[in-house]
Amino acid sequence: MGLLGCADEACPLHLAALAPNVGRMSESLIPAETLERVGEVLSGPVTTVIDRREAQRYAYAVGDENPIYFDEVAAQAAGYRTLVAPPTYVTHAVVQPRTAADLRTDGLYREGTRIRLLVDRVMFGGEEWDFLEPVCVGDEITATVRLAAVDQKEGRKGPFVRQVRETTFVNQFGDEVARSRMIGIAR
Amino acid sequence: MSTDTDTAAAAPDLATLEAGQELPPMHKFPDEAQLFLYSAASHNPHRIHYDREYARFEGHDDIIVHGPLQGAWLTQFVTDWAGPGARLLGVTWQNRASGLPGEELVFSGTVTSVDAETGVVELEIAEHTSDGRLLMPATARVRLPTT
Repeated sequence: MGLLGCADEACPLHLAALAPNVGRMSESLIPAETLERVGEVLSGPVTTVIDRREAQRYAYAVGDENPIYFDEVAAQAAGYRTLVAPPTYVTHAVVQPRTAADLRTDGLYREGTRIRLLVDRVMFGGEEWDFLEPVCVGDEITATVRLAAVDQKEGRKGPFVRQVRETTFVNQFGDEVARSRMIGIAR
Repeated sequence: MSTDTDTAAAAPDLATLEAGQELPPMHKFPDEAQLFLYSAASHNPHRIHYDREYARFEGHDDIIVHGPLQGAWLTQFVTDWAGPGARLLGVTWQNRASGLPGEELVFSGTVTSVDAETGVVELEIAEHTSDGRLLMPATARVRLPTT
């Protein structure tokens, strides 16, 4: 299983309100109040405009110098309206400015909305993306994060909780352009 | 921070593509500078990516490569192979272990299905270290041009 991964505000690590590990073998790790929150909006909607310099800075940082991110002629020849952003960039584009006073000791931002689970540790399990429409420079993207699922499962090392935070990204035309599901594993 | 792809191959041809075919591997060589630049460009202040002492305190061997950076490499691996006329439809990945700066990371993949009518191709892909440690098993869906 994955180690503590990382991420920005979308990181499932933010979700865990760590609680003492007591009586876990027979009991649910998911308090009733948490089950009731499935479907709830956890953050957003926030809207941001895709900026050329920021998207290109991101592509360079990845080391992905695909011409469709840098050369408008190449992007249009490939069938795009204008320069495109790298596929998963949209999730970083919508990170809102925060004060350093909000940083915890691990460097992550304190989160307003927390999901209570009776677990010791939350790990970043993985991510699933659907790319529905291109995200181009200049597009206005609105992101909304929901608690999509919280399920308890039995693993080889005992019970664990799988929690899914789903983010939907909608552009200025009202089209859903992408959907990401971040999977947190807690035990 | 560089990328090597074994062949600068032409975009795949839907007419001859079949399940079982392998993609040419892609290699990444992340270093501390790249982790720093990715933290900055993705607005990610998580300390495990820049503070070696803190990363070890959390139980890591060193500062670690960001999960989303490895995810972005998986998408690059597919879009570089598929060519600019293709459209990436989806990707999934699981975090199994962490990559470290200074390690060579290898991306590999196999075609699992081809729909010649719609152009949709499914892939099983993965990221390993050069000594064979699996970091991310993954899948991708891409639509190739049909004309």
